[in-house]
Amino acid sequence: MKKGDITFSAICMGLSLWLILESQKFAYASKFGIGPGFFPFWLGIVLAGFSLFKFIASLTEKYDAEDLKRRLPRLGSLGRLGLIMLIMAGFALVMNGLGFILTVFLFVSIILFVLEGDSALRSIFYGVMFSAAVFLVFRYWLDVDLPRGLLGI
Amino acid sequence: MDILNSLMQGFATVLTPFNLWMAAIGCFFGTLVGILPGLGPSATIAMLIPLTFGMNATPAMIMMCAIYYGAMYGGSTTSILLNVPGESASVVTCIDGYQMARQGRGGAALGISAIGSFVAGILGTIGLMLICVPLAKFALKFGPAEFFSLIVMGLLTIVYVGGKSISKSLMSGIIGMALGTIGIDVIQGAPRFVYDLPELMDGVSFITVVMGLFGISEVLESAEERLKITPINVKFKELWPTVAEVWQSKWAILRGTAVGFLMGALPGAGATISSFVAYAVEKGVAKNPERFGKGAIEGVAGPESANNACTSGAMVHLLALGIPGSGATAVMLGALMLYGLKPGPMMFHTNPDFVWALIASMFIGNAILIVMNLPMIPLFATALRIPYRYLYPGILLICIIGAYSLSSSAYDVWVMLVFGVIGYFMKKFDIPGAPMVIALILGPMLEYNLYRALALSRGDMTVFFTRPISATLLAIAAIMTIMFSFKTVRLKRAMLEEQEE
Repeated sequence: MKKGDITFSAICMGLSLWLILESQKFAYASKFGIGPGFFPFWLGIVLAGFSLFKFIASLTEKYDAEDLKRRLPRLGSLGRLGLIMLIMAGFALVMNGLGFILTVFLFVSIILFVLEGDSALRSIFYGVMFSAAVFLVFRYWLDVDLPRGLLGI
Repeated sequence: MDILNSLMQGFATVLTPFNLWMAAIGCFFGTLVGILPGLGPSATIAMLIPLTFGMNATPAMIMMCAIYYGAMYGGSTTSILLNVPGESASVVTCIDGYQMARQGRGGAALGISAIGSFVAGILGTIGLMLICVPLAKFALKFGPAEFFSLIVMGLLTIVYVGGKSISKSLMSGIIGMALGTIGIDVIQGAPRFVYDLPELMDGVSFITVVMGLFGISEVLESAEERLKITPINVKFKELWPTVAEVWQSKWAILRGTAVGFLMGALPGAGATISSFVAYAVEKGVAKNPERFGKGAIEGVAGPESANNACTSGAMVHLLALGIPGSGATAVMLGALMLYGLKPGPMMFHTNPDFVWALIASMFIGNAILIVMNLPMIPLFATALRIPYRYLYPGILLICIIGAYSLSSSAYDVWVMLVFGVIGYFMKKFDIPGAPMVIALILGPMLEYNLYRALALSRGDMTVFFTRPISATLLAIAAIMTIMFSFKTVRLKRAMLEEQEE
């Protein structure tokens, strides 16, 4: 945990510095008491205090390489997670252009075909099933305003 | 008498076909969410909020509430049949529940868990009803200083009791509060940390944060390894525990209910801790404690009753004080605000129909759950046979739809994805997400009450210590801090001594 805790406290330290510096752009006090800069400033100070404490405490911790190895994903898993995130990011990028239903079809088919190793036919089948379910439940039944895209679907 | 009249009016509101339908849907989805690993009640409720925007607050909250306690019913199924808890609150059920299943008594374990949950749900709701009204009346005396102190105490309790590491929980909470400062500030109404991005004007939506931290991250963690699960088969006729088994469990159910309700009423303790305490209590009072861990039915009845009663306890401070005690109730608090309701003591006066309908729906929901759960457990268990590779694209899709429908823009989807990755690494390094979500919701309330208290006292900081209720709440927070500091130091010393040895 040592490395993880050090990283976390360093990130929090950076965040606290950002809060302290950025809060200076706002008034610390107002006519009636505190100003908009008061709360973020003190949040930054408290976070800096805890980050420093955690950082020092982590330095005294025993380094356990096995624990870190257990926690971090293996290279294969990391690739898998990266692909899932990439496919999701792709979804967010293309859904307005392609329309939600068509994007769902591609999303499910690609996940099953590329990541899960399903056959092309099976992946397409599930893609169609998921698209139909999304259409029926969310657009038809719940009347959710989903993007229709250039094709209007 | 007032309470009974109000409750009857609540029943009158709930007993419409649409409200009953919403309660049934909530119970169904709650049970399913409890059963399926990879999605918890907080994320599910958050996902459904945008989809219920067109609805009235009453049916929407009836459904969300049903999801919350329904998940507690469902969580035991995977614990018993798979030794994999569907919900963190059912972790302890694995110990004896799975052993019972291996001995061919899985049906009895599932049955007693459903019966215990039902009894606990009903008694817990009665407790909620009896405590909520006087507490809300008392809380009417609260001014901004008292609310400030109450929020401080609530946040600290959540931090101290909730996570493995107090410092990490505190840091997670402060980050949540910092996220809450983004948007239009509550003091001057000017944009803060917005950087000319119109999307940030409304702040960071807690819904996207919850879906990212609890939904996407959970899927990523489960999808990291190809999850393969094979549940133990249970037949319908095996589902009923024998009369002797029910009789044997009666005190465990009642004790579990009391423990769960009291722990639930304490902000931050939550269903998981209450189920562990209930298990410890059962083991402590048992004549033959060596049976525990080998399939003792009390080891299932106690914790399962506790985690269900805990949900009623958690509703006490949500409804009476407007302070959430867990991730799921924090999401519900946010939902109440989105529906234009003002959670807290005034809600009993301004929206009595809503509050009592919600309480009445908990009685009905528990009845629906026992009717739905006992005969349908084998059916629900078959959901576990659906390969995870077909489940997680569905979960991801629901998350995307939930995020997108917040403001019909891809921006919320991006925010959710970012928090999904953050949540994944937070899980990996034992940084709890619940304090962040709760602080994100409570942070602006804390700042607002701080501002109002100081404005009313003309900037006098002693107002928090000179007003008796506020001073008492802060004293409790200080005592807790000292107690937990000592506990942490003792634990550290013990660990160091252990390392030296």
